[in-house]
Amino acid sequence: MNFPVELFINSMIAGLLLGGFYAAVTSGISISFGILDIVNIAHPAFIILGSYIAYILNTRFGFDPVLVSIVMLPVFYWLGAAVYQVYYLSFEQRGQEALRGLAFFFGLLFVTEVGLILVFGVDYRYVQAPYIGPSIRLAGFDLPLRMLVPFLLSLLLFAVLQLILTRSFIGRAIMAVSQDPLALRLMAADPIRIKRAAFGLSIATAALAGALLIVIQPVEPSVGREYIGRVFAICVLGGLGSLPGTLIAAMLLGVVESLTSTFYGPSWAPAVAFGLLLLTLAFRPSGILGR
Amino acid sequence: MTSPLLDVEDLSKRFGGFVAVDGVSLSVKPGERLGLIGPNGSGKSTLVNCICGTLHHESGSVRFEGRALDGLPAHQRTRLGIARSFQLPRPFTSMSVMENVRIPLLYTVNARPGPKQSARAIEERCAELIQLVGLAGKARKWPRDLTQVEMRKLELARAMAAEPKLLIADEAMAGLSHSEIDDILALLMRLNERGITIILIEHIMRAVMSFSQRVVVLVSAKKIADAPPERIIQDPEVVRAYLGQ
Amino acid sequence: MRSPVFFVVALVVGAVVFAASRYVENEYFFFAGYVVLQFIVLATAWNILGGYCGYVNFGSAAFFALGAYATVTIHKLYPMPIPVLMLVGGVVSGIVGFATGYLTLRLRGAFFAIATLALAVVLQTLIINWDFVGGARGAYVIRPNSFPLLGSYIQYLFGMMLLLTVISVAGARAIERSRLGYGFATIRDDELAAEASGVPTLRLKLIATTISGALMGMAGAPFPYYIGYVEPGTAFGLAYAVNSIAMPMIGGTTSWIGPVIGAILLGTVQQVATVTISSAVNLLIVGILLVDFVIIAPNGIVGLVRDRRIGSTTVEPTVFVLLYVLNLLPTIFLAKQGQAAQSIGLVFWAILFFVTYARGRMIGRVWLMVFPWIGAGLSLVPVTSETPVVSTVVLWSQGVAWLAIDPPTAVLIVSLVIQVIGMIYGAALERRTPAMTTP
Ligand SMILES: Nc1ncnc2c1ncn2[C@@H]1O[C@H](COP(=O)(O)OP(=O)(O)OP(=O)(O)O)[C@@H](O)[C@H]1O
Ligand SMILES: [Mg+2]
Repeated sequence: MNFPVELFINSMIAGLLLGGFYAAVTSGISISFGILDIVNIAHPAFIILGSYIAYILNTRFGFDPVLVSIVMLPVFYWLGAAVYQVYYLSFEQRGQEALRGLAFFFGLLFVTEVGLILVFGVDYRYVQAPYIGPSIRLAGFDLPLRMLVPFLLSLLLFAVLQLILTRSFIGRAIMAVSQDPLALRLMAADPIRIKRAAFGLSIATAALAGALLIVIQPVEPSVGREYIGRVFAICVLGGLGSLPGTLIAAMLLGVVESLTSTFYGPSWAPAVAFGLLLLTLAFRPSGILGR
Repeated sequence: MTSPLLDVEDLSKRFGGFVAVDGVSLSVKPGERLGLIGPNGSGKSTLVNCICGTLHHESGSVRFEGRALDGLPAHQRTRLGIARSFQLPRPFTSMSVMENVRIPLLYTVNARPGPKQSARAIEERCAELIQLVGLAGKARKWPRDLTQVEMRKLELARAMAAEPKLLIADEAMAGLSHSEIDDILALLMRLNERGITIILIEHIMRAVMSFSQRVVVLVSAKKIADAPPERIIQDPEVVRAYLGQ
Repeated sequence: MRSPVFFVVALVVGAVVFAASRYVENEYFFFAGYVVLQFIVLATAWNILGGYCGYVNFGSAAFFALGAYATVTIHKLYPMPIPVLMLVGGVVSGIVGFATGYLTLRLRGAFFAIATLALAVVLQTLIINWDFVGGARGAYVIRPNSFPLLGSYIQYLFGMMLLLTVISVAGARAIERSRLGYGFATIRDDELAAEASGVPTLRLKLIATTISGALMGMAGAPFPYYIGYVEPGTAFGLAYAVNSIAMPMIGGTTSWIGPVIGAILLGTVQQVATVTISSAVNLLIVGILLVDFVIIAPNGIVGLVRDRRIGSTTVEPTVFVLLYVLNLLPTIFLAKQGQAAQSIGLVFWAILFFVTYARGRMIGRVWLMVFPWIGAGLSLVPVTSETPVVSTVVLWSQGVAWLAIDPPTAVLIVSLVIQVIGMIYGAALERRTPAMTTP
């Protein structure tokens, strides 16, 4: 049997595009779990929330989903800051994050999902935008805009985050707080405030990621749970808290998933991320770039 | 010449790029009283953590009674006979003082080969230990009801409960009054007379110098001196790095 | 009470319950009772790892489904009696629990939780792609109509589940009071200190994951016979994952009685509620109660009853606004479910009332109980399509008032006023347009 080269390359391209998007989805977790050490398993719920907000405003008023999400960034930022405040006061401060903090996020994830099911039902929802549908041909291969636009926006988001974290004062403070809260206090910066800002930032990325998600594929409330495995797999594989590592891991996962669903059928795709996660945890818990 | 009880050879430990313990060698004879001193952040606690298996060091080796400990998990080292108190007390918060002290009896003393202690004997031993460190009357209290000083005493009681051959007390006396320090020193002295080797990490010079037969000085991750106390206080390097200022 | 004595007593109680149940004519009692018992087992199993050792397992559904699918497999090959199936299910899930623990428990605690989330999806994907057990379509397992001596087969299943419940509860209690239980507690409190005291933490954690996984598998083994038709969606259902966490958390995690209380309470309410409201609203309430409890009453109902004194608790506007928004959700959705749902709303608020009152008294803020009063009031408002609007208005005006004036009085006054207006308005609206009541 000869090897289907074209199918393979198409699948690779689709995987890379998908991987770029996964990177955007994971960037939020990379900040909260990787840098702040907050195991926010509710993150995908915020992403789905972002998708549904884009959906509502798109179908009601015809707004562009991506534009909507950019307007929603500050809203999500404050939502995230509020959630962190609750988390801090109720769990972190009392040293109960391991059991009750996790259960809290699980509860949020669950309530969001069931709430969305109650309001919107379990039907798949999608948005309309000019870049959904057409594709451009490049060197003989199809690049669907539906994938390309999210891919480019994801890379942009990633670059902006990297800049914020390495160049701005608040970004450096965030990195510092993860390493040495005490030193930060000596600098007269309040670690709680910094962490709140960082968590807000991480949830803000969910607004954009949610909009991109619903551009790429129709969304229903339980899609979020599929992403839990993906984001944590990528985050751990990339080495906790390292944005470049996250990007590489996301591409890797995108390609492996795409190849799997091309050659073995899409029903196997969900297991790829989780299998990869289990393998990483078992054999290389410090990630591909880790020492 | 007796063979050493504890033999640390060229031990190094780094945190990321930062070297916390740098090629420290150290040997302790059975029944000895060793003082370990050094400025804040010089790596004393980190060294203890590597000896006890709480942290894993990169290079060097630790031998106890001639047996290499590398790779052994902390609980097995405790069972072999190394007990320690934590510098920042780490009590089991959901248990009473009595139950805290009972844990090492259940999991270390009763896990060693030989006859097991009965529940009754364990109970009595707990009460005795609590009495010894001066926590009598607090046996039924919860750790959150204890003062910082009492928590240090609890740390000490818990370490003693493991019936160790080597007891490492990491700043067990910080914050104690003069008479309390004397009490604890007397207690450690009595343990030592029963043949237990003791490593005392302390900033209180009076205590270290009167207690120790030999003092080891760590300064910025390196060992700079290893001598009897009366020589240590005269050592120009130690005086410059630590005692003087 | 000594553990063996307790076991005998529990066995006698179980036998009495079973004997008494023989006089129940209604088959539905057994169907409902079976589910409640199954949840007691799941909650107890979860608590052995989660409550005693402090490690969260999000994959209860996976362990449960493994037990169920072990039964389906055996049923296809060579049908065997329920007790054997339970043992097999227990062994399979126990092994998977051990393996998951072995892979992740040497790492930071959070990784174990994430891995269990992952496990559920991997296993579900495997089952979906495994045609022998029916794949995504599911498999029929015909339940025999009767069982010798007992009469109906569901009574037999009920009896087996009752036995498993007795065993697991008595087992959990025995563990709690044994050397093993003390070891588990040291792991929950401080692993480094535990190791330094000679506790082999990794080994104990593996014991806990294995026992816990095995009990969940045993609970799942009779499930195919109970339900008659197993498909991945039901076996891996969300209800198992959320309930087995919520029940111990609400009951209290540090002792064996907590999960039992939580499971009986939540399980019964849900069984009653499924008759009148949709299962989604049901689960929503469970999820919200979970969030309520972890924040307001960290030690669950047992803690509320037992703890006379507590540490400092911050009652911050942010925390209460979040809780309040969450707690209004069911009221809004219940309003859409028709009159019958009101009683559920009341039960829900009654639980919350108890919690808030007890907590408020402990921390000297009795006015906290204003919240459940408002909620209960709301759920009494005749059901109209305006109810959601009313609650939203209450919420926002309270929030504004809170930030503007002295919190307690402001909340009290504003909410009472709006409450009364809302009720009058709702009642008036109701009388004018009776057809508004949605089914
Ligand atoms: N887990 C860790 N990660 C990173 N750095 C650490 C860690 N533990 C200790 N250090 C660093 O290693 C150095 C040595 O610390 P150590 O606690 O051993 O000092 P010490 O001699 O016990 O000081 P003290 O007298 O204050 O107890 C310190 O600079 C400390 O900041
Ligand atoms: Mg120290």
